[in-house]
Amino acid sequence: MTDKQLSPSELDQSLVRDLSRLPHYSPSRAFAAVVMARVRLPQPRAVVLYRRARAWVVEPRRALALGASYAVAASLALWLAVPWIFRQGSAINFVAGQATAWLSDTLRQAALSAAGWAVSSGITGFVDSLALTGGRLWFAVGTLVVGYASCAVGLHYLLRTPRGKDVALQPSH
Amino acid sequence: MPTAKDLQSATDQEVVALARAGKEAAYRELLRRYERPVFSLIYRMVRDRELAEDLSQETFVKVLNALESYRPEYKFSSWIFKIANNAAIDQLRRREIETLSLDGAPGARTPDEVEATALQAVDRSESALEEMAARELGTAIEQAIGKLRPEYRACILLRHVDGRSYEEIAETLDLPLGTVKTYIHRARHELREYLGPLRA
Repeated sequence: MTDKQLSPSELDQSLVRDLSRLPHYSPSRAFAAVVMARVRLPQPRAVVLYRRARAWVVEPRRALALGASYAVAASLALWLAVPWIFRQGSAINFVAGQATAWLSDTLRQAALSAAGWAVSSGITGFVDSLALTGGRLWFAVGTLVVGYASCAVGLHYLLRTPRGKDVALQPSH
Repeated sequence: MPTAKDLQSATDQEVVALARAGKEAAYRELLRRYERPVFSLIYRMVRDRELAEDLSQETFVKVLNALESYRPEYKFSSWIFKIANNAAIDQLRRREIETLSLDGAPGARTPDEVEATALQAVDRSESALEEMAARELGTAIEQAIGKLRPEYRACILLRHVDGRSYEEIAETLDLPLGTVKTYIHRARHELREYLGPLRA
C-alpha cells in the first residue's frame, strides 16, 4: 500500500504476492453431504447385472417376447414330461409315498419335541396362571393383533422410499 | 482397507482408483481436497454465493459420477477445474453478467444486498491495523478481479490464487500455452491499473 516508488516489475511482484494471499472460500457445512447424496457409488457386480437384467426385461415388447418364450418352453416340457410321468407312474408313486411318510414323521417328531419342551419349561403353567378367559382373553388377543398391525405399519413407513424422491440405496462401506 | 490417514497422503490418482473400486471414503477425500478451491474459483467467477454453491455441487456431482471416464494420465485437478470453469462460464454467458458490479452481485439492488454479495477477503495478520489494511487491499483485489473478462479472471485465479502451472491452466481451459501467458500478462496489467490509486 505504500509502494509508491516501486518499479513496474516490483509492483508486479507485489500484486502476485497479494493474489497468492487471497484466501479460499468455504461452501456451506452441508455441501459435502448434499453432494454425496447425489453421487452414485459403484455397486457390486451382481447388483449391477441384476439391475441391467431387470431394466431389460421390463421393456413391454421384451417382456411379451420373454413371456411367450417361457410359455412355449413350458408347453414343450410338459408335452415331453407327461408321457414319461405316465410311464413311470408306479415308481413315482413309490418315491412320493416314501417322501410323504418321511416328511409327516419329521413333523410329528418336531411337534412332540415342542410340546414336551413347552410342558417341561413351565410355560403352560404360566399361561394357565394368567386365567385368560372371557373378556381378558379377547383383550389379550386384541392387544396382540393391534401390536402386530402397528409394527407392520411402522415398518412400512420406515422402509418405504420417500415419496417424490428418487433415492438410490447405497451400500455402506 | 485404507485409513483416513492413508487417503490423505495418497495421490489424486490413487484416491480416484479407490473411489472407482467403490470406497465411499475416497469420494469424501476428493471432496475434502477440492471443495474449497473449486468453490472459490466459481465464487470469484460468478460473485454470487448461492449460485456458486449450486454450480460447485453440479461440478462435483458430474465429476464423481463420471470417475469411470477419468483418464489417469491427466491431472485430476485439471479435470475438475475444467468442469468447474465451464460451469461458471456457461452461467456467465447464460445470465449475461460479464460486466460485474464493483461492490456486489449484479442482482443486488438495496445497500444490504450489495453488502451481502460483495466479496470480502481477509488475510491472516498479526495486528488489528494490519488486518484492516489486508481486508481493504483484499477486497480491492477481489473487486478488481471481478472487473476482468471471464477468460482473464479464470487464468489469473488458477495461476496466482491456486498456484497452477501455465501448462495445467492451458490444459484446464483448453487454450494454447501462449494464449494463457498472454491472458495472464494482460490480466496482471489490468489489475495493476485498477489497483493503482489504492497503491499510490
